[in-house]
Amino acid sequence: MATTTTKPQAKTYVGQRIRRQEDPRLITGTATYVDDIQRPGMLYAAVLRSPYAAANIKSISTAGAMEMPGVKAVYTGKDVSSVGPVPCAGSMPTLRVPHHTILATDRVYYVGHPVVAVVASDRYVAQDALESIEVDYDPLDDVVADPEKALEKDSRKVHPEYDDNVAFTFHLDGGDVEKAFAEADTVVKLRVAAPRLAPSPIETRGVVAEYDEGAKELTIYSSTQIPHLLRTQLALQLNLPEHHLRVIAPEVGGGFGSKCNVWAEEALAGYIAIQLKQPIKWIENRRESILVVAHGRGHLDDVELAAKKDGTLTGLKLRILQDIGGHHQLLTPIIPTLSVLMLPGLYKFKSFTADLIGVFTNLAPTDLYRGAGRPEATYVIERIVDRMADELGMDPAEIRLKNFPGPDEFPFETATGLSYDSGDYAKAFNIALEKVGYQDFLKKQQEARKQGRLLGIGFCTYGELCAFGPSPALPAGGWESATVTVEATGKVAVMTGTSPHGQGAETTFSQIAADALGIPMDDIVVVHGDTAKVQHGIGTFGSRNTAIGGTAVHLALQEVVGKAKTYAGHMMEVDAADVAFEGGVFSSAKTDKTVSFQDVALEAHLCKNLPPDTEPGLSATRFFEPANFAFPFGAHIAVVEVDRETGEIQILRYLAVDDCGKVINPLMVDGQIHGGVAQGLGPALMEGVIYDEDGQLLNGTFMDYPIPKAQHMPWIESERTETPAPGNPLGVKGVGEAGTIGSLPAFVNGVVDALSPLGVQHIDIPMTPQKVWNLIQERSQS
Amino acid sequence: MIPASFDYSAPETLSEALKLLSENPDSKVLAGGQSLIPLLKFRLAAPAHLVDLGGVPDLHFIAESDGMIRIGAMTTHHQIEESDLLAEKCPLLAQTAASIGDVQVRNCGTIGGSVAHADPAADYPAALQALEAKVKIAGPGGERELGIDEFIVDALTTALEASEVVTEIQVPVEADGVGVSYRTIIQPASGFPIVGAAARIGVSDGKISFARVGMTGVAAKSYRATAVEAALEGKAADAETLAVASRLAAEGVEALSDLNASSEYRSHLASVQLRRALEEAAERAR
Amino acid sequence: MKVKGQYSVDVPQQQVYEALLDPEILARTLPGCESLEPIADNQYRMKMKLAVAGVQGLFEGKVSLEDQRPPESYRLRVGGQGKIGFIKGNGRLTLRPSDPSTTVIEYEGEVKIGGIIAGVGQRLMDMTAKMMIKRFFTSLSRVLAENSEN
Repeated sequence: MATTTTKPQAKTYVGQRIRRQEDPRLITGTATYVDDIQRPGMLYAAVLRSPYAAANIKSISTAGAMEMPGVKAVYTGKDVSSVGPVPCAGSMPTLRVPHHTILATDRVYYVGHPVVAVVASDRYVAQDALESIEVDYDPLDDVVADPEKALEKDSRKVHPEYDDNVAFTFHLDGGDVEKAFAEADTVVKLRVAAPRLAPSPIETRGVVAEYDEGAKELTIYSSTQIPHLLRTQLALQLNLPEHHLRVIAPEVGGGFGSKCNVWAEEALAGYIAIQLKQPIKWIENRRESILVVAHGRGHLDDVELAAKKDGTLTGLKLRILQDIGGHHQLLTPIIPTLSVLMLPGLYKFKSFTADLIGVFTNLAPTDLYRGAGRPEATYVIERIVDRMADELGMDPAEIRLKNFPGPDEFPFETATGLSYDSGDYAKAFNIALEKVGYQDFLKKQQEARKQGRLLGIGFCTYGELCAFGPSPALPAGGWESATVTVEATGKVAVMTGTSPHGQGAETTFSQIAADALGIPMDDIVVVHGDTAKVQHGIGTFGSRNTAIGGTAVHLALQEVVGKAKTYAGHMMEVDAADVAFEGGVFSSAKTDKTVSFQDVALEAHLCKNLPPDTEPGLSATRFFEPANFAFPFGAHIAVVEVDRETGEIQILRYLAVDDCGKVINPLMVDGQIHGGVAQGLGPALMEGVIYDEDGQLLNGTFMDYPIPKAQHMPWIESERTETPAPGNPLGVKGVGEAGTIGSLPAFVNGVVDALSPLGVQHIDIPMTPQKVWNLIQERSQS
Repeated sequence: MIPASFDYSAPETLSEALKLLSENPDSKVLAGGQSLIPLLKFRLAAPAHLVDLGGVPDLHFIAESDGMIRIGAMTTHHQIEESDLLAEKCPLLAQTAASIGDVQVRNCGTIGGSVAHADPAADYPAALQALEAKVKIAGPGGERELGIDEFIVDALTTALEASEVVTEIQVPVEADGVGVSYRTIIQPASGFPIVGAAARIGVSDGKISFARVGMTGVAAKSYRATAVEAALEGKAADAETLAVASRLAAEGVEALSDLNASSEYRSHLASVQLRRALEEAAERAR
Repeated sequence: MKVKGQYSVDVPQQQVYEALLDPEILARTLPGCESLEPIADNQYRMKMKLAVAGVQGLFEGKVSLEDQRPPESYRLRVGGQGKIGFIKGNGRLTLRPSDPSTTVIEYEGEVKIGGIIAGVGQRLMDMTAKMMIKRFFTSLSRVLAENSEN
């Protein structure tokens, strides 16, 4: 049987525009999300949340709810006090982590703070029962709703156990910033605010918890990006042995970072399932999602930039106020430190000082959201570089090109100590300038301005820190794992420790595996998101899925191929070293015999003709620990026109030239850029959580909180350069967040450019028509 | 996002519906549900009984008689948008329907439901004011008809009694030589106009022979901008006239202020959008 | 949200001032007021049912009449909590005669809402507040007219 030949697979998959294998089930409603899971005897939980931003809880009466038919149990903070606190992974020496119970006990810190959980026979009864619970609040008048005011001496302390509202401080500097500023020809200053954003995944959070009393095993189905990390944390919170806990992330309908967290409701559902010995389902509603799912951003940045008159940037000073909210979530204090690391953008200056202050407020917690710290940093540097160009009377393209490191300067050590891996920043930018027809545009703009039209062009040349990351830089390990198991029939299962939730990794990993093994993609299944099926892993966030998870898959595939070559050599009676493998066929110059991949797979299981001392089966598990992050980059350009009368912004053209290293699937990279640009366009033009001075969230529905829709999107003219990442064998960098990082500053710079004839130097986001109109009015009058 | 419990009836005739409304004092009519369902889900409204008019066939029609076009209350925005009859004989209403919300809203929402809800930012009322539309109402005591201006009393408040149902909207067949336009600036989340201006202009011998203007979103209720009409009629149909008249768009009304627009900006937008609508309508009238 | 405006009633100032402190009259004029029971001097427990079109909310709370400067002004404070959130309003009512038989009531104050109604009702807040104030003054002038007829 060793002589069977299979037609070689000439086709290669990596680099092809292949449609996502996940999509048919996702768009035909046959995928299983948490809310699709039904368990026998399942009960439904609902959570009562505080209507006040700051209040003492005087008493809670649950009697009315308990009397309602169908209500099984009601839990207050006291009832669940044995559950450990919601974790925060920050570790800076100055960090204050207030005790964060899964339900409020004596105090609430923000509107939406969970106070009571009701469990009932169905979700309707549970919802009705919430209305029967009486919580006697003593509302506090001086709500801390403004991070800047929160730092004033007479501000009320959000957490009375501390003597001020500082959650932590973080300082970093480099070079000689005082000298840089003293010797500068020009210094410009800006205050740049990045308001809070609601992550708004299509699928809200949800948990099903089921306890097997006999096996003493708790199973948690959660809409999460990090099933393995969640399992460890839940084991600690619930005081359960980790090997008696199984976490399953079924289909996850979008996360954008908001599900890279450990949420109170996850432990709550687990606790209740153990207590009641019945399965529990909790599904978050949209109002809760907008209200309490950790908001992204929440930055107030004061920045100063120093330069020589030829446009050479020499130094930067930055102070970041990070609005923490009432409590930390998992990564809350870590995210803004990424803004500090990325403050130099793509520029060569070496002197800087940065102070980051985390501030407690009576608002919902903040945490990671697509880009997580890097969009904020990019916005600041790209805005102030434009401001500097304006001040120097320099072309904003020229000042950028002047300050990029050259392609021969990589690895490039940045002011903040990062090592940018590879790139040609000028090349990507020049392609974008060429494509937009910059010189022609400038002529057109002159003409338009003569007619009183407000036409503008905005650049963003962004760098991005991703492929998270080396373990020392991450709180819970930065490596990733993969197991490749070949079945007896030659079908292959790839188990990845990442937890893709919309990235399309089932497709990309199948492409990688199909090429490595010379088999059709249909012969591969990618398994993820179940701690009982998959070896320990870290998860999907920080644009790490392909660069770290994909590399682990690649390494496991190489090992499988290596083993298979040994078996094939034995079957063909030649040395393993003389075996070649191509297109799914093993051959050797030393023999006419060939064996197929499927032949070897079968033999590995039958074990009739294997080398001595070979273990049965054909499988490998490998881990990949990166030595550095990866640094994608690119140039985005927005051409806009402002309606002078109404303040409306029209996007005339949008160009994106991105470099995310080697591309596995161009179609999916396009998709990532498109989605990313949408999530930069939102905050640029319309999005932003609005609180009043009492900490009430004022735009808490999709009738009021605008996320961009198809009709708001410009046509995206997309191109790529491809600079392989030196840090992993696939040469990939990451693209999940690039569009979000690159787009927002381009829109803002474009609008400022459009308004510059009026003397406008900056505009706050979101650039709503009202805000633009106000600026035009102000400037026209002055 | 789960409503409080309610009883539900789906009558098949109008008289059955009216009977249900009379017999159940805490009842509410369900038309397309685009405003009511969200209120129910937030529990901001909790009627004991819903009477769904979706199954009453007599309320679905678009027909012409005696120089008027009669539109059944349960006609969807989409049907109005796509109606050949309206496109030809009352294009303003068809254009207005096309700018409502999004596809899903237009497929479900109905003209009767919109009018009866009287949302101050709804699109239809601008056109209906400009068209001097009539609202036909059925109740236990029989039928009555009100002009749209009398029908809409205040924000979310109409002349409709709890036991009554809007059955029909009547708009005139547009005369030859009349140009129409509807212009809005939209709140990106809800799709509701921050300001909407509907204009009908007749031009003969270079003069404006006829002008009707309806505004929505500006104030607590939609209104006919009669000051604008007066400033237009009899004047030359030139840019200057239209610009001067449109400055009166929010004359005498208290412009609303909310997260999207201050009252000052709203008044300003009312003038700008109206001028643009007038220019377009005048252009089409020629 | 700030509210400010004025309303004119055809009743002399002293009479208007007294009416505005009279719990029976307040019970009949405060929009949606279902009951008003005294709990202390110039303080009342109130139940109110606010209804704007389909939107309905039951609130329980307090009304207090503070900082009284007869017959010119006082501060009206209203606060209530219900299933759909809470409402807090406080405003100074200032009276001045425009002629001996007519009184102008000026009001200036602030309305705050919280909970569900704050997050989902923003778009309609301004007009709702205006409508409530209008209802209050319309009922007030009706009640005052009835009283002066009697």
